[in-house]
Amino acid sequence: MADKLLEVSDLSTHFFTHAGVVKAVNGVSFDLEQGETLGIVGESGSGKTVAALSVLRLIPDPPGKVVEGKILLRGRDLLGLDDDEMRAVRGNDIAMIFQDPMTSLNPVFKIGVQIAEAIVLHQGKSKREAWQMAAELLAKVGIPDAQRRVNEYPFEYSGGMRQRAMIAMAISCNPDILIADEPTTALDVTIQAQIMDVIREMQSVYNSAVIIITHDLGVVAQMADKVSVMYGGRTVEYGPVDEVYYNPHQPYTWGLLGSLPRLDETEKQRLTPIKGQPPNLLLLPPGCPFTGRCPYEREVCRQTWPEREIVGPDHGVHCWIPLDERVAIREKLPQFQASVA
Amino acid sequence: MADTTSAASFAQPQLDSPLPPTVESEIPTTRPLGLWADTWRRLKRNRMALVGLGIIVVFLIVGMSQVIAHLAGVQLTPYDPNAVNYALTPEGIGSPPSLSHPFGTDYLGRDVLSRTLVAARISVLVGVIAVAISLIIGLSLGPVAGYYGGATDAVIMRIADVFFAFPYILFVLLIMTVLGPGFTNVFIAIGILSWATYARLVRGSVLSVKTMEFIEAARAQGASDLRIIFRHLLPNTMAPVYVAIAMGVGGAIVTEAALSFLGIGIQPPDASWGSMISAYLTYLPAGSWWMLLFPSLALVLTVFGFISFGNGLRDATDPKLKE
Amino acid sequence: MIAYIVRRLFQLVLVLIGVSMITFTIMFLIPGDPAVTLAGKGATPETVARIRHRLALDKPVYVQYGMFVGRLVRGDLGESYQFNRPVMQMIKEALPNTAQLAIAAVLIELLGIPLGIYSALRQFTFWDTALTTAALIIWGIPVFVLGLFMQWFFGLKLNLFPIAGGGGETVLWVIPADYLNLSCLVLPAVTLGLIEVAYISYMQRASMLEVIRSDYVRTARAKGLPERTVVLKHGLKNALIPVMTIAGIDLGALMGGAILTETVFSRPGIGLMIYTAIGSLDLPVVAGGVLFATLVYVIANLVVDIGYALVDPRIRYE
Repeated sequence: MADKLLEVSDLSTHFFTHAGVVKAVNGVSFDLEQGETLGIVGESGSGKTVAALSVLRLIPDPPGKVVEGKILLRGRDLLGLDDDEMRAVRGNDIAMIFQDPMTSLNPVFKIGVQIAEAIVLHQGKSKREAWQMAAELLAKVGIPDAQRRVNEYPFEYSGGMRQRAMIAMAISCNPDILIADEPTTALDVTIQAQIMDVIREMQSVYNSAVIIITHDLGVVAQMADKVSVMYGGRTVEYGPVDEVYYNPHQPYTWGLLGSLPRLDETEKQRLTPIKGQPPNLLLLPPGCPFTGRCPYEREVCRQTWPEREIVGPDHGVHCWIPLDERVAIREKLPQFQASVA
Repeated sequence: MADTTSAASFAQPQLDSPLPPTVESEIPTTRPLGLWADTWRRLKRNRMALVGLGIIVVFLIVGMSQVIAHLAGVQLTPYDPNAVNYALTPEGIGSPPSLSHPFGTDYLGRDVLSRTLVAARISVLVGVIAVAISLIIGLSLGPVAGYYGGATDAVIMRIADVFFAFPYILFVLLIMTVLGPGFTNVFIAIGILSWATYARLVRGSVLSVKTMEFIEAARAQGASDLRIIFRHLLPNTMAPVYVAIAMGVGGAIVTEAALSFLGIGIQPPDASWGSMISAYLTYLPAGSWWMLLFPSLALVLTVFGFISFGNGLRDATDPKLKE
Repeated sequence: MIAYIVRRLFQLVLVLIGVSMITFTIMFLIPGDPAVTLAGKGATPETVARIRHRLALDKPVYVQYGMFVGRLVRGDLGESYQFNRPVMQMIKEALPNTAQLAIAAVLIELLGIPLGIYSALRQFTFWDTALTTAALIIWGIPVFVLGLFMQWFFGLKLNLFPIAGGGGETVLWVIPADYLNLSCLVLPAVTLGLIEVAYISYMQRASMLEVIRSDYVRTARAKGLPERTVVLKHGLKNALIPVMTIAGIDLGALMGGAILTETVFSRPGIGLMIYTAIGSLDLPVVAGGVLFATLVYVIANLVVDIGYALVDPRIRYE
């Protein structure tokens, strides 16, 4: 059987600070095929960004370190590569779009320079060629008057334009995988949809796989084929989007879905937020990180991390509540009451 | 500070930053002033800053006790700092450190340790009073400029520009020439020249903070402009000012020393470290190193304390410094 | 860009007007009657009155100010009371000594840049801690204390360099061309330069540290750029900006005469000229010297600002 495009298994990234060890990512696994879109969902502190940065080996060391796991890109373990080999992967095979385009672009260099850099580096083109390609890329991502704009500085762009420029920068070398870390969080709501469109478009043009990291379930529903729900550094549930959204098995996933307003509701439902605070990453229990906030937890939850349980096609969950009990509880939850079609 | 609302926050201090305020506030910062514990915690990890703080504390204790002693007419030193004793200066060049005189004696037989201690009084007074004068002026004009903006801001900042345009020492010298040498004039000169630094700092912070919601709230409650400025804006913009104060005190002490060294500052019989250095200079070729060393050490150590602590404070209140 | 320069020039003019007003006011306020001083002892009241009239000291304040500004604009700084020479000429003679000192000191202090960068890249190591500690200590030493120490140690004890003097042959007016001139320059330049190196290396380190942790540096790495390019191209340009402005402003400030250093080393530059003039109440020299120093400082600030705008494009739209 052919290798998957990307296969991450048991990834653990810890930060060793003077306040203690922060287990930002703790035994996380996910995979990706060519052209697929994976959504990694979680709140702040769930470890989703750290997981993405770990794939590119961009974790600052000190104080961070990937302590365990395998990251296989077409069968090749990225964690075993030396610096030069890894650099050939970055921007080339795997590219990343960061959350805040204002601070992620170098303020003293023109946009054209920043895009052309990667092209010159990975594709060996001359500066002139790369510059022209940069202008074309900007046009492709929807920046008007691209020939002139490529000569400008980041501060001369609007927020949405900057993010488009970042996307252009990321796809400049036809990466197989595009990682988008909360690409729309720093932007106006009206711009968010546009940016998601651009990403989707680029994905189809270049046939890239996309990992989209977000806290927004709506975005995942629109864009992703499969989803991985993270909490407190662990993956608590994963599977195809439809599966997870219509057949969720983890109390945290229920909470996430419950806090979404739904357009098809006839009666006024109250939004049910998840009670409690995000976990203190310095004091994670050995078991499930959701303890303390989970309304259905039991003794064993805090002590031991539950093994994976397959509950559907390619759909796994980590939870100690027995399956039939889970389904029973779920049926009674307000957010899963059948809506009037 | 007790009545600031929970939305309290202030922008990153920028001393002479030409960056437009909009760029600055792209980086949102939240460090409620009530979190001194947090600042203290970060400060504790900076050993140099702690050493500096220790030096400052020692300096303040010694200096303040000398101030009080002077006011009370009491002597708080091992020997009378002005007691001339020709026996202790056989060749007119003083005597080296010994058990009875740990810092030695000067060319008139006076105990150097006692004189060094007494001179600390001047340094403390300069540091405190000069900086206080600057603060009063700067913290009045700065927030006003930032809050009202427009013409008021332009006028105040142009005046500040003029003050910034003069090379510092020259300017201080000029003022001293006008006022004449002596004790109080030193404080005044330094004080009225340094206000611009604080004014500019506060103005920058005010510009960022004044658009925040809790100011709107205060205005909606009918608070007068003055009240808004001094009760709500100012307390939230103080962190960079504290750093500037630490540095400013150090700077004031050095400036006074320089002025006294040049002969324009403290006049005899008062002694400051600067005037001592100037007076004892001529005895160096004769080999009397101790007269020069101890006041110099005291000066260098004290200034180092303020600089080190000031830097540490700046690092500890810098929200951009990720841990 | 042009708009920015024009705006700054306009500010400059305003500032200079303010400076001239303050300088004039201070001159006016300095106690002592120059006419009396010039007339000398035992002069008759008529002589004094005549001198006062000649110096236009009997005219109203604003007229005197007007005359003052009028002369300034023509480059006439008046005549020294003490030496009866044009102040402008005195400045011209003293300037090379000050200029050499300023340039030498700034060249030395630029060494702080690589030191600061090195320190930042090796954060948490022994060298970083050592360099930073040394920088903090040296930065705080008052310049005249350090100057005295240098004189004593290198001048008297080791007898390596002269402890006083200046002047002599020069090339291009700012490069000392004979040994005496050069050796007189060493101690004062090193004194000034050392303190500034400490300051600059500390600032450069701080700037570099901040830049290294920035998001755009992370982006550069994510593109696969080699670490050297990330640091030197993306990081350095941003990190150098604040430090270069410091160096530029230092140059301007020192051109105005490092009074303390020149006094300690008896170097006949502008600083010493002004200081001596203060002592003898030679007002034209004081005023002329201060105005000159301020002008140079303000222009240096302007040049630095323009340079800043050239490097950091955001500034041009302030």
